[in-house]
Amino acid sequence: MSHATIVTPTPEGGFQPHTVAHHFKTAEQEFQAAKFAFWLFLVTEVMLFGGLFAAYIYYHGFYPKSFQAGGSLLDWRLGALNTMFLLTSSWTMANGVRCSQLSRRKEMVVWLWWTVVLAGGFMVVKYFEYSGKFHHGIFPFTQVWHPEGHYGEVLAGVAFPKLFFNIYFTMTGIHGLHVLVGMIAIGWLIWRGGQGRFHSGWYIPVDLIGLYWHVVDLIWIFLFPLLYLVP
Amino acid sequence: MANTSHDSHHHDVVVDHSHHGHVSTFQIFLRVYVTLCVLTIVTVAASQVDFGGANMLIAVLIASIKASLVVTFFMHLKWDTAMNNIAFLGSLLFLSLLFLFTLADFATRGMADPTQMSPIR
Amino acid sequence: MTTHAPAHEIPTVEGRREPDYLRVTKGFMSWVTTLDHKRIGLMYLFGVTLAFIVGGIFAMLLRAHLWNPGPDGQMFSPQDYNQLFTLHGAFMVFAFIIPAIPGSIANFALPLLIGAPDVALPKLNLASFYLWLFGTVLLSYSAITNGLDTGWTFYTPWSLKSQTAVLSAGLGVFVIGFSSIFTGLNFLVTMHKMRARGMGWFQMPLFCWAIYASSVLQVLATPVLGITVALLAFEHIYHIGVFDPAEGGDPVLFQHFFWFYSHPAVYIMILPGMGIISEVVSTHSRRPLFGYKLLAFSSIAIAVISFLVWGHHMYTSGQSEFAMQAFSFLTVLVAIPTAIKMWSWVATIWGGSIALTAPMLYAIAFLVIFTIGGLTGVYLAALAIDIHLHDTYFVVAHFHAVMMGSTAIAFFAGVHHWWPKMFGRMYNEKLASIAAIVILTGFMVTFLPQFEMGSQGMPRRYATYSEQWVGYHRASTVGAMILGAGFALMVGYLLHSLIAGRKAKPNEWGGVTLDWKCPTPPNLYNFDDEPIAGKLYDYGPTLKR
Ligand SMILES: [Cu+2]
Repeated sequence: MSHATIVTPTPEGGFQPHTVAHHFKTAEQEFQAAKFAFWLFLVTEVMLFGGLFAAYIYYHGFYPKSFQAGGSLLDWRLGALNTMFLLTSSWTMANGVRCSQLSRRKEMVVWLWWTVVLAGGFMVVKYFEYSGKFHHGIFPFTQVWHPEGHYGEVLAGVAFPKLFFNIYFTMTGIHGLHVLVGMIAIGWLIWRGGQGRFHSGWYIPVDLIGLYWHVVDLIWIFLFPLLYLVP
Repeated sequence: MANTSHDSHHHDVVVDHSHHGHVSTFQIFLRVYVTLCVLTIVTVAASQVDFGGANMLIAVLIASIKASLVVTFFMHLKWDTAMNNIAFLGSLLFLSLLFLFTLADFATRGMADPTQMSPIR
Repeated sequence: MTTHAPAHEIPTVEGRREPDYLRVTKGFMSWVTTLDHKRIGLMYLFGVTLAFIVGGIFAMLLRAHLWNPGPDGQMFSPQDYNQLFTLHGAFMVFAFIIPAIPGSIANFALPLLIGAPDVALPKLNLASFYLWLFGTVLLSYSAITNGLDTGWTFYTPWSLKSQTAVLSAGLGVFVIGFSSIFTGLNFLVTMHKMRARGMGWFQMPLFCWAIYASSVLQVLATPVLGITVALLAFEHIYHIGVFDPAEGGDPVLFQHFFWFYSHPAVYIMILPGMGIISEVVSTHSRRPLFGYKLLAFSSIAIAVISFLVWGHHMYTSGQSEFAMQAFSFLTVLVAIPTAIKMWSWVATIWGGSIALTAPMLYAIAFLVIFTIGGLTGVYLAALAIDIHLHDTYFVVAHFHAVMMGSTAIAFFAGVHHWWPKMFGRMYNEKLASIAAIVILTGFMVTFLPQFEMGSQGMPRRYATYSEQWVGYHRASTVGAMILGAGFALMVGYLLHSLIAGRKAKPNEWGGVTLDWKCPTPPNLYNFDDEPIAGKLYDYGPTLKR
């Protein structure tokens, strides 16, 4: 088969051209293949977290009182603050993707920086939340709280409260891991974006990591009411 | 990549102008963002009121509205290909099967044989 | 990366424009770093065959152990026996059957069948192979160090208490799961975005439809296995409580999670096999497939229904009576699309110009055994009957009929069908026919007695048994040895063909799908000129009835 090299159109102003991989016939085919593949990857993310949500619902059904008691010991104000951090970062990310589509390099980098900073804010709050829990003896996997204190009062006579805490730590832990991975990926975008790799002719990495970041936000949208405001 | 042999051999270089992807507007993103913030406040407010058994439903409902806003606008799914829509919505459908059947089992235990009832409520 | 050299630098090869993919680059590194779907397919073929041999040796050892009813005069201690059947299951399921057809045959043939130069994501394809390799190494590590005695299903609470290598084996399964997701995802994108010009969805060969359906399952179901195994690991190390009744957890939830993956997984195993049978049956009886659309839609229907039936593995686990009835009803529905497939294959052969080639013989063995496996599945779906048959040899024989007797045999039908395309060499057809007949015979001798003793109540996974089943067990053991001999013969003549086999014809079987329209063996990017899909399964007017 013939092997003409296909490149995507590159705007003026220091942007770098993109070469289409050899096994694709058009840039459009490459773009659509990458995008569909990434949506399928997001499907696997949904199913993965879905398993954890199923475990949550299952045991919430078994032990609603324990879940309410456990949830009341989490600080919903910190949870709400983190919700705002992630929502805002999702918005800045969407704007970053938009700027990459319009070849506005500087603006894109600024939006992406905001996204990383807000994600960092989320992780800092998470750090204080976790260490606050550790202080009261609520660790991931093992929980030993003082029977006399506030935790002891709330959890007294409640069946298997550790189930709630372990589900809380597992879900927020895996979610936090996704936030960290996202921060690294967006950092990479800032680096490559600064070099002028992404422009109207080729912005698929920004687009895809953007999608990933929105899914991270999406999961938190459900985690917040289910864990912090246990109904 | 395929063009490493450029120097030794004359290859055609084709610039592919086929265009793709939908560009949204700043205003739409801003409006969605503000709505999301308002709905977060609503979530917290609703949790402070006791609706009995409906609290869970309300919380999940508001979260679903927020999630669909993110998916539709921030993730451009509204303007994306049919197949990407099917893939994502399909995953929710199959996930709901996992929820549905596990819950159906759990919720109906002990109907015929009370000794099979779930433990402490 | 396999750099494509410009055409004028290549020494001319007799009768072809470009050198074939086996010779275009040389050396060990050119293989282990290849992004070519065909070479990755061959590496998978080599790997899964090794896994099959390891799993097969475990099987023959445990059949040999059961020659005597015991406990005296048996080869292994009960503990070692537990490890043998667990490792047999884990290797066969995770390292062999799940990746076998997608990884090797679909990797090789799918891009050819749709006229594409490669899969859509070649790097992900190679990553999938290395993940499989890493996962299989972890499984082997578990086998060598502490072994594994939980059964391949890792049921809690035993898997939480077992002192064997549950963690490394679980990690192996986790990693292989991601390999499987990568493969499925890649094929879906490939079929959506890489089809040749003129190939609409309904001009796609049926093997592609089958791979499509199984890929959907791989993408949707496998992540749940991943999170289940992760929770199991947390539970095992830290006792987080989710699956441990002592900590308030419910082992039934583990089973829900596990079977939410593992029931669809049995269709990840069988659907690609069904796809191979479709291609083989059509090519070797020279007739277009009867009921093309029905076959295509039945694959999709099987995939969808497979998400609604997982509870049929849990009839005795303590799930609710309501759930059991719902699952039983839904399970029986699977028989409809499955029966459609059987009828379509038989109707395709009927009146065709049948060539009893080696691939066709394997396909016929598939049709015979799959009928047995499918119908006994309906017995097991029925709630009341299954309470009696649950955890007996009847179940063992049933799933070996669909896994070993159908999927593995379909895999070998595919290997024989595409072998000349893969290597440009032909195996000894006479020996191949003998091996096919030996394997079919071996299967019947091994598993028909198991159906019988299962229905009499012989429980599975027991190291010893009562005297009344000595005859059945011994017949079964003899059958396993016949099977082993058949497979050894197969490996022998296939390897021999690589060295001394005659040169294959460009189109050995007179196939009409696109895979037979590229050079044999294919070029690095498969086709000489960009292929254009024409009418599917067009064998010409004279050969139709
Ligand atoms: Cu099943």
